[in-house]
Amino acid sequence: MRADFFQGLHEVLKKDDDVVLLTSDTGALVLDDVRKTIASRCINVGIAELNMISVAAGLALCGKTVYVYAIIPFVTLRCFEHYRVDVCATNLNVKAIGVGAGLDYCTLGPTHHAHEDIAVMRTLPGLTILSPSDEVTGKLFAKLSYDIPGPVYVRLERYGQPLVYPNAKEEDFKKGLNVLRKGNGSAVIIATGKMVVTALKAAETLKKQHSIDVSVVDLYRIKPLNTELMIDVINQSKEIFTLEEHSIIGGVGSIISDLLVENRISKPLRKIGLPDDYCRRYGTRDYLHGLIGIDAENVTKIVKNELGK
Amino acid sequence: MKKSKFADLEKKARWVRQTVLEMALCAGAGHVAPAYSCTDILVALYQGGVLRVDPKNPKMKGRDMFILSKGQSCAAQYAILADMGYFPVSELNTYCQKGSKLGGHSESNVVGVEAFTGSLGHGFPIGAGMALAAKMDKKDFVTVVLVGDGELQEGSNWEAAMFASQHKLNNLIVIVDRNKLQAIDFTEEAMGLEPLRGKFEAFGFDVKEVNGHSYDEMIPLFKTFRNRKSSKPLCIIANTTKGKGVSFMENKAIWHFRIPVGDEVEKARKELHGDEYEAKFCKCTKKK
Repeated sequence: MRADFFQGLHEVLKKDDDVVLLTSDTGALVLDDVRKTIASRCINVGIAELNMISVAAGLALCGKTVYVYAIIPFVTLRCFEHYRVDVCATNLNVKAIGVGAGLDYCTLGPTHHAHEDIAVMRTLPGLTILSPSDEVTGKLFAKLSYDIPGPVYVRLERYGQPLVYPNAKEEDFKKGLNVLRKGNGSAVIIATGKMVVTALKAAETLKKQHSIDVSVVDLYRIKPLNTELMIDVINQSKEIFTLEEHSIIGGVGSIISDLLVENRISKPLRKIGLPDDYCRRYGTRDYLHGLIGIDAENVTKIVKNELGK
Repeated sequence: MKKSKFADLEKKARWVRQTVLEMALCAGAGHVAPAYSCTDILVALYQGGVLRVDPKNPKMKGRDMFILSKGQSCAAQYAILADMGYFPVSELNTYCQKGSKLGGHSESNVVGVEAFTGSLGHGFPIGAGMALAAKMDKKDFVTVVLVGDGELQEGSNWEAAMFASQHKLNNLIVIVDRNKLQAIDFTEEAMGLEPLRGKFEAFGFDVKEVNGHSYDEMIPLFKTFRNRKSSKPLCIIANTTKGKGVSFMENKAIWHFRIPVGDEVEKARKELHGDEYEAKFCKCTKKK
């Protein structure tokens, strides 16, 4: 997905001379091509994220649109206060590109995991948060983030297979969420990022093996939430599940929880995500998902058990 | 006594200090002594023919960029901007009060202010970004950042210093308000900055030192900003006195955030006003 995003960004860079890409020494194979062709506007600022965000703000104050790229904890948490004051408080065209959603960097441990970024970044006024679910949306969201005025945070995966949207276009992503599967009203799984694929797999199994027909929603724009459409979706289901590779504190589950409370909607909500803990185990991402209980098999069990209560 | 050739600037600075005092008294808030420390530097930059700016056209293309990174000194900046005509002088009366745009830190919503500061360690890297933008677009505007000395304890400044040097941002000028005091201690007692010149030189800067209250020293140096031959960014260590102009505030940490009360008010006024008082700003009549 990262490669696809940078392909999309390469197109943006070629079309607009006022677009600049800064990276704090985070690479990608496809980025090498971009750096070769547009060297003067693709700058490795060194391992110095605070400076990167503020330099981006300075460039943006002089009319540039600036993409800042690093692994998620370093482009969000490390430099959060610089993003808050220099970028968001002034509503500048600075787009934070974070790679490594959730446990994507499964072998590198908690320093490189991203399980607090949504909780933290969504407190920033005026920030748009995008969460692509596959390679196609990864590429489309490069252009989409350029078209959205003001600050944007894009939560990327390194990879993005299998495809959720084989034939999608940018105009398919105006509403903030997509209903990918319509069930019979028993429940809806609201997922984001890579977990959309997990939700679709779980929904398939629930249907085939247990005759439970759930809806699946891709919440690709985490902020601003399309509250009207989301309430409409929620009203069509008896029970709600949220599924994210993020802490159950402050992420999509919390966003939906807030929505229910604020709108006096009384429905069961089960938040499925990363526990309130650091993952000090290593291995493949699938292995960790199984260990934690957020793989398709476990999600299927959770939904089945909840609906059977 | 020989009259200084910069007597007009000295007069303006005196008015700024008077005004800052009245603003703080009306508001019951604000950083007076930090503003006094850099008042002369600000007057030299804005009103000494250094910065290429136009109050009638605040967003003029190609204008120089100035960032007050030590945003707590904004009362002096606001007084100067009002005096120059960016906004009415009468607005200064609202400083830090209900509904005012003018708060206790430099606000980019205020006409003439280029960057939103107050959190320390931000202005230097923002300025580096502006200087880089000028290089990218082949424009000749300069970016001047005024940082507090205590502020240099923030690591982000040194990231910015490495960056500015790496990218040969000779259009970036960082002025250090070297009053040797921070909020509650002397800098050398908290986390020492010396040798400050050596640090900046090691980070790839040209370094000059001036008396930050002497227009004779500042103006000729400041007027070289646009025509620098060196490829290095420039650091100016401006040696200053925190609280300059009011004897009992000078060089005392306690005055970082204190506002005069009781007899201190008239004592401060007397020291600042001398024989003249410009009626351009209403004297605070609030009972303390």
